[in-house]
Amino acid sequence: MIGMGRIIRSGERVALSHYHLDSEQWNAMLAAPGAALPLMSCWADDGRAYVLLLEGDRPLLASTAVEERRYLALSSRFAGAEWGERVAYDLYGVEAMDARGNGAPALDEGGWTSTWPLSSRPGPAAGGLRPLAGSHLLRPEQTGLSGPLEFSFDVLKGKIRNVDVCAGGAHRGVVSRLLGRTPEEAMPLVSRMTAGGFVAHPLAFARAVAQARGLVPGPGIRDVWMALLEIERMSLHLFDMARTARGVDAELLATHCDHAREAIARACAEQGASRRLMDMVSCDGFREGLEIVPLVQAVHEVMQPRLAALEELHRVFAPRLDGFAVLDARLAERFAVGGVTGRASGRSMDMRRREAGMRLEALRATGSSRGDARAREGLRLAEIRDSLKLLERILGSIGLEDDEPAPDRTDEGIGVAEGARGDVWYWVRLKNGLIENFHVRDPGVALLPALGAMLRGYPVSRVPAALGSIGISPAGIAL
Amino acid sequence: MKIVQRTGPLSLLYAFMDAARWRPAADGATPRRERSIRIYVLETGGCEGCFMEIESLNGSAFALEQAGFVWVSDPADADWLLLTGAVTRVCAEMIDRAWRAMPPGKSLIAVGACAVDGGPFPASYATLGGLQALTPVRRSIPGCPPSPDDILRALQELAQL
Repeated sequence: MIGMGRIIRSGERVALSHYHLDSEQWNAMLAAPGAALPLMSCWADDGRAYVLLLEGDRPLLASTAVEERRYLALSSRFAGAEWGERVAYDLYGVEAMDARGNGAPALDEGGWTSTWPLSSRPGPAAGGLRPLAGSHLLRPEQTGLSGPLEFSFDVLKGKIRNVDVCAGGAHRGVVSRLLGRTPEEAMPLVSRMTAGGFVAHPLAFARAVAQARGLVPGPGIRDVWMALLEIERMSLHLFDMARTARGVDAELLATHCDHAREAIARACAEQGASRRLMDMVSCDGFREGLEIVPLVQAVHEVMQPRLAALEELHRVFAPRLDGFAVLDARLAERFAVGGVTGRASGRSMDMRRREAGMRLEALRATGSSRGDARAREGLRLAEIRDSLKLLERILGSIGLEDDEPAPDRTDEGIGVAEGARGDVWYWVRLKNGLIENFHVRDPGVALLPALGAMLRGYPVSRVPAALGSIGISPAGIAL
Repeated sequence: MKIVQRTGPLSLLYAFMDAARWRPAADGATPRRERSIRIYVLETGGCEGCFMEIESLNGSAFALEQAGFVWVSDPADADWLLLTGAVTRVCAEMIDRAWRAMPPGKSLIAVGACAVDGGPFPASYATLGGLQALTPVRRSIPGCPPSPDDILRALQELAQL
């Protein structure tokens, strides 16, 4: 009996972790016996369909040719693949055969200047906006999120039974803007993918580009990247904690979170960095002039003394979050939900643990795995404590050498960064130094198929509070 | 701001006292207006950085209300519409909906580079390239993203026009 990983590796290896499969091998992968590998992302363009899986803690990418705009659907085997298939249809008009779901648009709500805009044969514009199905709508401006995401619900007796999401309002056509540029030209835009990852997104991109070029960043660069990521983690956790707290009228906790986040932002600005660390990561390192040691010291100095009060306030207000917006452990596993939301539902994945040079002894955060808003809030707090410890360890041994070997240059790379809201993945293929193909997977995408189960039974009025507690960024999802 | 770690049975009381002590004050004189200017904020498809900075401005660390502004959650209650983001084509209808719901005497303000002209997201199949594609932009706050202090200062200046 051959497992999914072996079937994929029977294909033609074209990059470090990428295998081309013929249609027979693709079918065999989808029918592989045993448990499926966790799905990180799937996408398709005019030429190929791709699936990014996780084997242990290593990425494994398989792709197959798209023929006559069709390929065999990944959702026939991977429950979380439906969103990627809908996006591929909206952007390229390629159809996933035997796909699950209702095939509703993920991005194209009808207002674009053409249909299948990234296809080599785009269609005419569809005209006006298409109304979403469902008996109740939550308009983009009513979700309580930082960006436009539209929800439609089937509601029975005042309680949600089913949820559908459309992210067209937040779609800016990022992929089309980056193709044909050098990675360096692309970086400013990558740094503006989402405020939910001003460090995590460019860092995952920089790692993908480095792998494509057959480079390994030196230990000094690696540690600066780690430190920036931990500062961002604390800041975003505080943002999500404040929003969650306000959802249950815990204003005092929210106030302390607001002040702590602002203190971090001011510390960054005073040390010459941008408030939210935008534009700090570059393809080959970090912004010139960035002094990481005083930056880390300043952030640590303003954040460490605030932890005790935050923990005490969390203890007081946490019962209000008991049993609210539960993400079942089986769903977290099934849809490979990462970040705090996945870990609070019992999923152990934290991509920082596989990084070369990681000070593993600092990553101790554990907590409830009940999957509710209380578990997520508690874990965010525990992770802030870990981030402070990790920053101390990095300062204590900054630039510590290790023996990570450089990969062969294949002009193709996969990069990951464990952002505050989960694992951010980038896949990049270069040709003559320019980006020929490109894919981003924001951690919010993994949450979409789980939302229905998470929100079932609640009135629509509770949805904004539930969404606030899972930390979801429409900009990251829609790109 | 000096923080002293306090634990024990009085820690909650200290947390209240800290929150009161940190309460921000508006720079300069309190504006002499009959009532606060009510602002409604819409994100129209950017990176969300500007929106999150306005959200911070509306949080506890800034004196938005003391400076004479109130964030409202219904455009029908708003005097000013603050727009962030690159204005995606899908969001144009949402902007129109909010604008029509606002009472007479309303103003439109673009916050951040994207909202003015698209910034890094100029016009494409999915985006209009900022507010300028819909209407002349007379009031704007630059930055990518502007800080809460920048936004508050600019709002105060615009209120004096």
